[in-house]
Amino acid sequence: MAFQMKVDGMTEISELLSRMEERAPAVAAQALYDGAHIMAEEIRKEAQFIRTEPFRYVHDGATRLPSPEEKAIVTAAGAGIAKFDKNGTEVDTSVGYRASGYAELNGKQKPVPLIVNAINSGTSFMKKQPFIRKAAKNGGPRAMTAMKAKIEEAFTAMTKEK
Amino acid sequence: MPKEYEALVAALKLTGTPVAEYAWKTRPEGAYYVVQLDMEGGSLNADDAKQDRSWEGSLDLFYTKLTDRDDLVEEAEEILTEIFGSSWYLNSTQYEHATGMFHAEWVFEALDGPEPDPPDPPTEEQDDGVPDES
Repeated sequence: MAFQMKVDGMTEISELLSRMEERAPAVAAQALYDGAHIMAEEIRKEAQFIRTEPFRYVHDGATRLPSPEEKAIVTAAGAGIAKFDKNGTEVDTSVGYRASGYAELNGKQKPVPLIVNAINSGTSFMKKQPFIRKAAKNGGPRAMTAMKAKIEEAFTAMTKEK
Repeated sequence: MPKEYEALVAALKLTGTPVAEYAWKTRPEGAYYVVQLDMEGGSLNADDAKQDRSWEGSLDLFYTKLTDRDDLVEEAEEILTEIFGSSWYLNSTQYEHATGMFHAEWVFEALDGPEPDPPDPPTEEQDDGVPDES
């Protein structure tokens, strides 16, 4: 038996889909910014908990903790968000310490990422305190939730547009 | 301490390369390991309890290419694979200009592991009602 079927609203759906495709990169960038912001905040927070001891030169294979001056450089520099790399619908960024950042330590200009790396990974004369890995572990799930919420919010707003 | 972490420390001590937990007071000449637990890993939580506790830790190897063996990195990775299976990764490799030492850093997840099965209780000889032939 032949029968007819009619579906209304396909034009609207197709319009909505094309609108989504157009705006997806912008929405992704907004969401990514929110997520990266949370990660940067988390790294700055963890940097507050770096343990220190007064500066001393270590001899005979002893290990030391970072000095308060070194910690001050790390907390003052603060983790930042890199310029967004957009490629079609892909958006990329990284969170961390500026590669071109320098600070004065004991009368010499030292690169900030080098000091951060020495504290984070440890060296043969400094004890490691992996605060960036800790921040990534704590902030990762929160950043994901925030990004998902942002994307859902943007697309819900889009469906209500006429 | 998780059992897998204790197994790692024991296995590293067998290699002959000096091992310290957390930090060296006076670091030795040549290559050496530092091993430590950093934070909680991906524990399995169920029924309002920690069913399987997991710890994230790191293993650091410092060595110089001039005086130390070439296969130290491979040896460390073999031990990690043997104990943790695939739940470890090489986090970074670095070079220190000041001391001329190479630094490899691995991150692993150590489980406490399941409790070993209790030994079977001795079975009592069942009386089947048939008298012994003797």
